[in-house]
Amino acid sequence: MLEIRDLTIRFGGLTAIDGLSLKVDEWEIVGLMGPNGAGKTTAFNCITGFYKPTRGHVLYHGRDVTRVPPHRKAAMGIGRTFQNVGMVKSETALENLLTAQHTKAGYAALHGIVGSGVARTREKDLVAHAEAILDLLGLSDIRDRRIGGLPYGTLKLLELGCALATDPELLLLDEPSSGMGPEESDELGDRLLALRRELGVTMLLIEHHVPLVTAVCDYVYVLNFGKLLAEGDAEHVRNHPEVVAAYLGTEAVAG
Amino acid sequence: MTADASVSSALPGRRRLASRTVATRALAALPLLALVLWLPSTNDTYGHVATYAAIFIMVGLSMNVLTGYTGQISLGHQAFVGLGALTAANVVKTGIVPADPFMFGVGMVCASAASGVAALLLGAVALRIRGLYLALVTLVFGSVFADAIFTLPSLNGSDAGVSAYRPNSLASDYRYFLFALLLAAGCLYIDQRVRGSKVGRGLIALRENELVAQAYGVSVLRYKLIGFTISGAMAGLAGGVAAFWSQEFSDKNFTDVAGFNLALTFVVIAVVGGLGSRGGVVLAAIFFALTSPISPLLQSLANAMHWGTYYGNNKFYVSNVIGAVLLLQTVILNPGGLGQVLRPFSRWFAGHPFSLHDPDGGDTTAMEGGGVRA
Repeated sequence: MLEIRDLTIRFGGLTAIDGLSLKVDEWEIVGLMGPNGAGKTTAFNCITGFYKPTRGHVLYHGRDVTRVPPHRKAAMGIGRTFQNVGMVKSETALENLLTAQHTKAGYAALHGIVGSGVARTREKDLVAHAEAILDLLGLSDIRDRRIGGLPYGTLKLLELGCALATDPELLLLDEPSSGMGPEESDELGDRLLALRRELGVTMLLIEHHVPLVTAVCDYVYVLNFGKLLAEGDAEHVRNHPEVVAAYLGTEAVAG
Repeated sequence: MTADASVSSALPGRRRLASRTVATRALAALPLLALVLWLPSTNDTYGHVATYAAIFIMVGLSMNVLTGYTGQISLGHQAFVGLGALTAANVVKTGIVPADPFMFGVGMVCASAASGVAALLLGAVALRIRGLYLALVTLVFGSVFADAIFTLPSLNGSDAGVSAYRPNSLASDYRYFLFALLLAAGCLYIDQRVRGSKVGRGLIALRENELVAQAYGVSVLRYKLIGFTISGAMAGLAGGVAAFWSQEFSDKNFTDVAGFNLALTFVVIAVVGGLGSRGGVVLAAIFFALTSPISPLLQSLANAMHWGTYYGNNKFYVSNVIGAVLLLQTVILNPGGLGQVLRPFSRWFAGHPFSLHDPDGGDTTAMEGGGVRA
């Protein structure tokens, strides 16, 4: 479904990603790990089109989408969440879910401006869909709350809902479990698996929380300093000497 | 998406009840509406000032779309209003006779279209720059555009002004007020529809975070231009109405200090009213129209306090000082503007129980969150 070939991106003298290749197949949940500054989020930004890579290609359903702008990628079915929660802070939870359905609104901007019947009917559908998502995530009671004051864990969950509202085939999740305790993170793991089972969403996630990665990921790529360090299933990667060295330093391995 | 929809099936009953409450409570606003319709009919001066207020409402809503929703600042809005006035006056070309009603209508449409296009062009610039630099560019755009185009002898009646006599059916100040009120209501409707549709949500997402907006599929290019165009079209319409309100287009109202004063007043209306808050902006527009130098309100107040002569000599300074003081007050003490003050009432009219304490804190982030990029 998604394939990255030999992706390189440089910012001035810094090579953030160096010749990265990876593959995500339909129905897979793939993990992307690595220490801070390894280039994980940069890779996400290349996939979603926020950054233009110096070299290499991003293929989506076999089509080269390297230069497609981000808003068009959203319409193509690539949804994403952000590391520090990307939502519209001044709006309510419901409004955020409506905003996220932008490409699925089903009416032209002009219809919205003059308030035509089509737009009004479609708006009702969008609200119903948003409410269904709130229900699915157990967030119905914050429907009309402005999200600015909500706790971080709730925001992360709601952001997942917003990403789902874009109706993605491929979901890129940037540290979905950050700010969550072990129990919440277990719950998140079950939720991700359920999403795949019920909605058929393929996922690529950046994640540090090893139990979560082990629980949900079919395949894991580990990056360090922009280079691919190891790949394989979670068990294999976790015991890979270079990965341990990258995270804990070489002495830990020697000792 | 195969999520179940049982939540929404439980809602219709509750919603019907809410709409009945809303209808009952809307009755409470009727005396106010009666006052708005009746007072201007009692005397020509009132009618004249009330029309001015309706024009300010249109410009205020235009600023609301641009600054409140889209998060783009414009210090050159007098150029769009002026362009509307110039276009309407020159398209209708009344000479010394009342305008033909059909041509009058055409003139209004052209006024709106011309400013919409001009704003679209300014929007194209705004795609490249932001913040203080955009504020500077709009400032320069406003004054240069006005000084360069409005002063062309062929367009401003060789410096004598272009006459714009109203059609016979709108000749009285009261009738013209009703016409302006209708258009202001139209702008209010558009503003409300924008806010309630994907357009407004896209604009607000842009205002807060362009990356998030793009991740949701909002095209930055398209939506910034849409924001500018709607805003320009409203300002142009206001200009067209203004030309026939004063029954002439005179470039002197929109150039130099007079023009800059207008531009500042428009920004102040948007901020004091509350960025992104329709009701607050309408109220602020009315307030600034009533305290403007053309209104007799402050003059009669000053007369009563025996400051009549002083006020008469310093009208323009007084209105500037009022604007500046209220702007500071808003920025420091009440970032949500009048909209924030109005929220208990607007929530009540929407069918919620009356409470001075706002359960979800209100939308003050329009100002705080660095939403306005300036």
